[in-house]
Amino acid sequence: MASVTYDKATRVYPGADKPSVDALDLEIGDGEFLVLVGPSGCGKSTSLRMLAGLEDVNQGAIRIGDRDVTHLPPKDRDIAMVFQNYALYPHMTVAENMGFALKIAGVNKADLRTKVEEAAKILDLTEFLDRKPKALSGGQRQRVAMGRAIVRQPQVFLMDEPLSNLDAKLRVSTRTQIASLQRRLGITTVYVTHDQTEAMTMGDRVAVLDKGLLQQVDAPRAMYDRPANLFVAGFIGSPAMNLVEVPLVDGGVKFGGSVINIDRADLAKAGDAKTVVVGIRPEHFQIVPAGGLEGVAVTVNVVEELGADGFVYGTTQVSGQDKDIVVRVHSREIPQRGETIHVVPVGTETHVFATTGERLSR
Amino acid sequence: MSTNTDATTGIPAQRGGDDKPRRPGKEQRFADGGGVLNVFSHGFLALWALLIIGPLIWIVLGSFKNNTEIGSSAWSWPSHWSFDAFGRAWQKGIGDFFVNTLIVLAGSLTLTMLLGAMAAYVLARYEFRGNRVIYYFFVAGAMFPVYLALVPLFFMVKNLGDVIPWLGLNQYVGLILVYTAYSLPFTVFFLYSFFRSLPSAVHEAAMIDGCSHSRAFFQVMVPMAKSGLISVFIFNVLGQWNQYLLPLTLMQQQSGSDPDHSMLAQGLMNLAQQSGYASDFPGLFAGMTIAMLPVLVVYLSFQRQVQAGLTSATLK
Repeated sequence: MASVTYDKATRVYPGADKPSVDALDLEIGDGEFLVLVGPSGCGKSTSLRMLAGLEDVNQGAIRIGDRDVTHLPPKDRDIAMVFQNYALYPHMTVAENMGFALKIAGVNKADLRTKVEEAAKILDLTEFLDRKPKALSGGQRQRVAMGRAIVRQPQVFLMDEPLSNLDAKLRVSTRTQIASLQRRLGITTVYVTHDQTEAMTMGDRVAVLDKGLLQQVDAPRAMYDRPANLFVAGFIGSPAMNLVEVPLVDGGVKFGGSVINIDRADLAKAGDAKTVVVGIRPEHFQIVPAGGLEGVAVTVNVVEELGADGFVYGTTQVSGQDKDIVVRVHSREIPQRGETIHVVPVGTETHVFATTGERLSR
Repeated sequence: MSTNTDATTGIPAQRGGDDKPRRPGKEQRFADGGGVLNVFSHGFLALWALLIIGPLIWIVLGSFKNNTEIGSSAWSWPSHWSFDAFGRAWQKGIGDFFVNTLIVLAGSLTLTMLLGAMAAYVLARYEFRGNRVIYYFFVAGAMFPVYLALVPLFFMVKNLGDVIPWLGLNQYVGLILVYTAYSLPFTVFFLYSFFRSLPSAVHEAAMIDGCSHSRAFFQVMVPMAKSGLISVFIFNVLGQWNQYLLPLTLMQQQSGSDPDHSMLAQGLMNLAQQSGYASDFPGLFAGMTIAMLPVLVVYLSFQRQVQAGLTSATLK
């Protein structure tokens, strides 16, 4: 077990003019479960592969514990990786797949067998040990890939979207299995995903990347409550936060009929900008009766009923322009399509960003 | 007896015998094409099969007949079944030619497959300067007709033999190297695309599991490429077994005391020419049958893998 440190690690692909991972600074504690999340092409997989030794590090360094592994080959890094498509060896049985790394390391046969059987027991694979990967279901293959990683008891687990090839239901159950397995083994884990539910539910901390740049690292809750910039605000949360550009007025910003107050000192950060971006999560709207002064009128376009609650996708007029807005509503009071509802943001749950992306509100 | 003889006989037979539609999509497509096209193409294939199988049967039957019977009618049945002709052919040197061919092929096929697979793998999997140049160099080799190279090749091997005797003319090792060089372009070309089609994550997994480059190649990638390796192996067996021109040029006895290292095809030709008027046609036919059998056996036993290898490399 060990910590992992990215120290200004940079990767520029040959022929590319911009780095895919740009001076990544990240400290992952011993035994921590860190989730790297971001849209496709953001550099999250590249960051993971740099740690694995599958991509060169052009600048900066990567350390596992105190060891500088920046230029070590993968086999000398004491890591194990779970691939998106599992990358099982098709010509080997499940047991051989799981024990391959130990066999190479020269572990004697009896020990190897015991370790493989232990791992198989944890993952419920005992009865499949003599099968080839071809004869397994997707979920079982995924578990074999996990087994191959845990048999080695490495210092760091790397997981590259290990659940994206599973069906929705299996994904949810495997998600919790992986999280609890990681807690039990206490092995430092770096987990790459584009699925923010995975990011929010599995990790001790979440790191959001965009265009090769680290946007924010924080505990899931903290990130949800206080996104550091526009990108994180829009990326974390499903459905996404409503982000609306509104004009500045004296002492705050005007959103519909209501004025959201902003601290003068914070506002100063925006410089002499005339507009800012207000962010309000769908669940932070209150429905008010029509006719009130404060409410924003939203015309309902689509209603999604999820059972527990419903989401209204509507349009509203902000400074003379149509804006799309998502509002969470109670599951028993779902409005009809075409109806107009009036909503006000819950006072303390608004976020204000400069149009350049920087967070203004505290 | 040519390379594609045996390869093509298998195909119509396979089509006809394959009742179970293993790939419904494909069967569907053929069905959509309309009955007329089907009848036409199957008819054509059947005719082709007949044209190829006919002479083969004629040769096999001929080896049981006697000279008169062969001379009278091609369609007659041998009057009595005896293996005398086979014995005579064997004594006349077919046995030696057979062994010579086996020795050379054992060496050249091992080398071709080993070097070809390694070269193709490195070219397909590793990025380095000159990668493309080397690849195209190999591929260009496949476009170069061997006839053009014959004379220079002869002098090259001859001169090499002056320096290192066991690499010269009428030497097993000399011919093994030439066969290997002759087969490498296609082998590399074919296996290159095959290795490309294999998932790279498996190779990465092997590297993370602690494999060295060579172990990843031999223990992970080669087993995964098995069907492709078998296909190209069969092609090389067929091609090298039936090779006539190269041994004719390079495996001539250099002096009276020089041992006869003739290959099968070449030896058969010599037999036919030397016999002159006192020709022993049944013996010749028996020799041809002997020469043809191993190729048929090899092809028929690996037929399924050949098709698997071909489709997985090309249909992806």
